[in-house]
Amino acid sequence: MQWWCAAVGVPWSWTWQPYPGVWLFMLVLAAAYLHIRRRAQARGARIPPARTASFAAGWLLLWIALDWPVGALGAGYLASLHMAQFILIGVAAPPLLILGLPRRTPAAPAGRASRVLTHPIVALGVFTAIVTGTHLPAVTDALMPAQLGSFVIDTLWLLAGILFWWPLLIETGRTWFTEPVRIAYLFANMVFMTAPGAMITFSDLPIYATYELAPPIPGFSSIEDQRLAGVGMRFGGSTIVFVAISILFLRWNRAEEKLMASEQASAGRPDESAQRDG
Amino acid sequence: MRMRTRRARIHAGTLLAAALLFACSRGETEVRSAWRGTLLSEPVEKPDFTLADTDGKPFRFREATAGQLTLLFFGYTNCPDICPLHMASLATVRRGLPFAMKNRIRVVFVTTDPARDTPQVMRVWLDQFDPDFVGLRGDSAYVARLQNSLGMASAILGPRGADGRYSVGHAAQVLAFTPDGRAHLQYPFGTRQEDWAHDLPKLLEATW
Repeated sequence: MQWWCAAVGVPWSWTWQPYPGVWLFMLVLAAAYLHIRRRAQARGARIPPARTASFAAGWLLLWIALDWPVGALGAGYLASLHMAQFILIGVAAPPLLILGLPRRTPAAPAGRASRVLTHPIVALGVFTAIVTGTHLPAVTDALMPAQLGSFVIDTLWLLAGILFWWPLLIETGRTWFTEPVRIAYLFANMVFMTAPGAMITFSDLPIYATYELAPPIPGFSSIEDQRLAGVGMRFGGSTIVFVAISILFLRWNRAEEKLMASEQASAGRPDESAQRDG
Repeated sequence: MRMRTRRARIHAGTLLAAALLFACSRGETEVRSAWRGTLLSEPVEKPDFTLADTDGKPFRFREATAGQLTLLFFGYTNCPDICPLHMASLATVRRGLPFAMKNRIRVVFVTTDPARDTPQVMRVWLDQFDPDFVGLRGDSAYVARLQNSLGMASAILGPRGADGRYSVGHAAQVLAFTPDGRAHLQYPFGTRQEDWAHDLPKLLEATW
């Protein structure tokens, strides 16, 4: 029984394959969210429908990435789909899942360790290390053929993504983590992702044995597939991060405008009183 | 004093023996690791056989490939993995070599499924990899004897499915006949493009 998508080395078939391990994982995730919601509501919190919709969207993206056919193709046939899985699991789904959490979610829900891990510098470092490490050919080729190995990679991506987005989306009380610093944090991520993306895109020969030696998909060579994977990593991830940078920039800009307006209003009041006295 | 001297001699001798063993095994390892392909225990002479090519003309294998690096592979066009992967890898790597090297490399594909692999079918299939690849076709029994003479197991036709399709079990290695007319290495399934890129230029210039 195939519980999780892995590289099994058989020719691809469009016949649907069940992966009960994936369904179990998604059910546990949904159950955990419902439990968190119920506890928050019991404390009097109101959870707007938008938050629930955000979690549902993230949950759906995760399910698409992990289950057949994307999960199976990405695990054992196409490096480009493996990259699409990474973008969905590690970059796109985590912010949606986090935005679905109740407003007053603790900054460090699992004690001191989680406070350290969600420190922006640590989170960025852990994200970069996990993404770089899991995209090394030796690691990918060692882990992808086994269900447990593939599960480990997927889970590491999700964890890395949650850690990376956590300080941006959950109020952690770090006053120094202002909008400009957050923008720099996101920009640093784009820069650090250049190396693994370049390694994949600009190699003359396939670097992953898993995908080079997989039963081929007609009309699509392994090097074309790999280059598409590199481009996907570079532009797919960057697009999402760029959207986040844009939102932060607009928020920062609005906050600055409000501050300027209130300063101008305060500066204007002494003149008004002078006029009244005069 | 004598005991110490004797002990020292024993230690020195052991060290020297270990060093020699290490040097010898390193040498052997160096020969093995110089190639990404598998060294054959005995080189195989380039066989002298004639089969029809995809134009229907007789292809005298030994004569037509004399002095060239000839990569001989037995497979079939309906193969889901081994055959297209070998052909794709060889085509990609050969394309990336300098012109002078590329022209000295010949890839020869012999079908183990002549019932389905007509000359036209083979030509269309090979052209998707490289139009320079030679496709050969002949009587199944003749091809089986040829494979056996090269130390390979002959192909076995699998059972027919309800849709009439069947697989063919066949040897998965590529035999590399260097310009001296002998195969010193073979390349099993799993040989990667980086392995071919490493070995092909060396095979062209190797002296044995």
